[in-house]
Amino acid sequence: MLGLPVQLQMSDEQEAFREAIRRFIETEVPLSKVRDLYGVAEGFESAWWQEAARLGWTSLFADERYGGGSLSGGRVRDAVILAEEIGRGLAPGPFLPVNIVAAAISRGGSDEIKTELLPALVAGEAVAVWAFAERAGRWTLNGLEAAIDRTGDGLLLTGAKHYVEAADNASHALVAALCDGLPTQAIVRLDGPGVAVRRGRSIDMTRRFGTICFENAPVEPAWVVGEVGQAAEALHQQLHIAVALQCAELVGVADRTLDFTIEYGRDRFAFGRPILSFQELKHRIADMVQWLEASKALAGALAEAVDEGDADAGRLAHTAKAYIGDKAARIVDDCVQITGGIGVTWEHDIHMYNRRAALLRALYGSPEEHKEELYCLLEATVGAST
Amino acid sequence: MSGASGTEALSEFRRRCQNWIAANLPPKSAPAEDPVALQRLLFDSGYAGIPFPEEYGGAGLTLEHQQAFYDLAHELGRQVPSGVALMVSVGMLGPTILEHGSHEVKSRFLPGLLRGDDLWIQLLSEPRGGSDMAGARTRLVRDGDSYVLTGSKMWSTGAHQSDYGLCLARTDWEAPKHRGLSMIAVPLAPTTPGLVVQQTRSADGTMGEFCEEFFDDIVLPSENLIGEENIGWAVAQTLLFHERNAVANVGYGYIGWDQSESPAGAYEPGRVSDLIGIARQRGVDQNSSVRQLIADVFIEEAVLPLSSARVMTGMALGTHEGQWGSLLKLQESEAAIERVRAALAACGAEGVIWEGDDIELDNPGTSWLLARGGTLAGGSSEMQRNIISERLLGLPREPSVERGLSFNEVLRRQESFE
Repeated sequence: MLGLPVQLQMSDEQEAFREAIRRFIETEVPLSKVRDLYGVAEGFESAWWQEAARLGWTSLFADERYGGGSLSGGRVRDAVILAEEIGRGLAPGPFLPVNIVAAAISRGGSDEIKTELLPALVAGEAVAVWAFAERAGRWTLNGLEAAIDRTGDGLLLTGAKHYVEAADNASHALVAALCDGLPTQAIVRLDGPGVAVRRGRSIDMTRRFGTICFENAPVEPAWVVGEVGQAAEALHQQLHIAVALQCAELVGVADRTLDFTIEYGRDRFAFGRPILSFQELKHRIADMVQWLEASKALAGALAEAVDEGDADAGRLAHTAKAYIGDKAARIVDDCVQITGGIGVTWEHDIHMYNRRAALLRALYGSPEEHKEELYCLLEATVGAST
Repeated sequence: MSGASGTEALSEFRRRCQNWIAANLPPKSAPAEDPVALQRLLFDSGYAGIPFPEEYGGAGLTLEHQQAFYDLAHELGRQVPSGVALMVSVGMLGPTILEHGSHEVKSRFLPGLLRGDDLWIQLLSEPRGGSDMAGARTRLVRDGDSYVLTGSKMWSTGAHQSDYGLCLARTDWEAPKHRGLSMIAVPLAPTTPGLVVQQTRSADGTMGEFCEEFFDDIVLPSENLIGEENIGWAVAQTLLFHERNAVANVGYGYIGWDQSESPAGAYEPGRVSDLIGIARQRGVDQNSSVRQLIADVFIEEAVLPLSSARVMTGMALGTHEGQWGSLLKLQESEAAIERVRAALAACGAEGVIWEGDDIELDNPGTSWLLARGGTLAGGSSEMQRNIISERLLGLPREPSVERGLSFNEVLRRQESFE
């Protein structure tokens, strides 16, 4: 029962995709490799990333004319299969940022940007990152302060973007900023004038982050994605995709952790019995299984809602991150407790899962923040009816 | 999904149902129809007991057909027979009798049950044992062609309004606990000699749906036995399985009982829009703890139907076999507690204090008094966690102090603690 995927009904093609990804992760980036990458500044190897790209890690959201394409027509649903396996195996690589950028420019980018970026992104030869949050680490549109000013020298971007995944590996960033006070997004080259990237690390073994500072950095008008000042809907859509993928990844992380913890607990004896014959532990495991099953149901529903452009996708995204972010992190945490002392050593693998869970819980908004957003949405509907 | 071995294809069945439902079932907006009258209408048209064999009054189709029927009725906004009594009869007792009863038993009891003529309930728990149901001390003694029943049962829902109870009683006291039990049908008519049925007063002061029954040497025909003598525990397990499914709204219990729709006008603590309104009126809507609790209520409400739909899909696909109802029952009943907790938080003093001499029941404080009913009735949350961990996951059982002992010996040892 553990190991069941988010999507119970998959086509043969999707099943084959899942199998191929799982095998690729097991053979090319097993946990021993993840440990090695801890000491590598970039957190992943570019030759490996190009291999991953050939398997479809970069193409699911990309415009077909530039090498993209999904398996089923449901791009998020296909990507959820991948995200879940990435969580299960703690795979490295800039999966989420690259796919968000590919989705954004495929939807609203000019042919010029697409030509410049998409083939290279899809081939895994270039990495582009999503620069959204600022110092406060909030993934909401009203947290945007970076600004694009219209000047005699054209559009100039000023501001600092924090918590940018894979910033130091990237050639380009998709930057969210205000222009005339309205949400706008544009692709900016990171080796251009007025741009400085500060490297950073995260609690995760392989995922690196960075801060990108823009000081009057020129923005080419043709590289604005969508219309100036009209990016709100696209930004929400990107946030929904990001949350949908990270929820699936969290499910993969929690499912795998619970699975190996149960295996361990079956074989571990104390007081003359397997420790998982004690009700205290069994009952906690039962709760965790219930949370996990509900998380899978929720992650699947969100993927479908985002794919179909449902009107309540935003509400469901807040619901899913609030629930799954909380439950997945609690599952991993309690598995550390059940694992015992060895669970807080470097030697045991569980800390690597705890790292990924803690990172994903916070990234793109914590459960607490999503609950607050959710309350605001609910409050608005009650206000409208009274 | 099309019908194997001559079963009507789902698509055809849907077309047929669509027409019938549209022509025969009253809309939800109309005054609520008597559930039993509706059940008879279904029965007389061949839509009651859809997965039950035709020879026992069913339609001879599958659980998927049943689901399709009730989904269609829901989509078309039509009333279906509602209420706990029919859910218990048709969703829980019916499939149990179908699985364990002899041909004669099924022929005798099932048509009346499926038509709603006879309402059935379970008589399982006893005053001395809730979760330890197999420790039943009600006595069933064979006497020629009859049995004699002595003892008492508790926590039986709606016994005072029912026609039959399926009673778990001990036939062999020298056998180990689980192997000396039998299941027998008891007529609940007030005229039954030796039977007393009393309603139990609930913690909120009202006479609730729970009853307690006393059996004083009730004589029952041996044909009332459901299943063989001494296999009563297996019958009880089947019954409990269907009970969890019914609470979770899956399997045989998928008969249109939408728990999110409470009867019109009924008080419902923890409705999200109400909570937001109350929090705003009281000026606690900027209190982030209150906001988070209310958001949690919304989240749990959103997750429940998704979990249940996933399990239903998994049952049809074969990825979810066995005791998944326990998982949904646990989720649903624990979430219900949190709803009331959130209502108490949003309402503050207003939730527990009111003006005037009348005893008011429609407030979160009173709901709180009964909230734990859900995590106890139908198998406590602790029992559900045992089932999930032991039967779904196959984790090792607790060592038993009763293993291999006769029930009489278990009682003797128990006395040394008492």
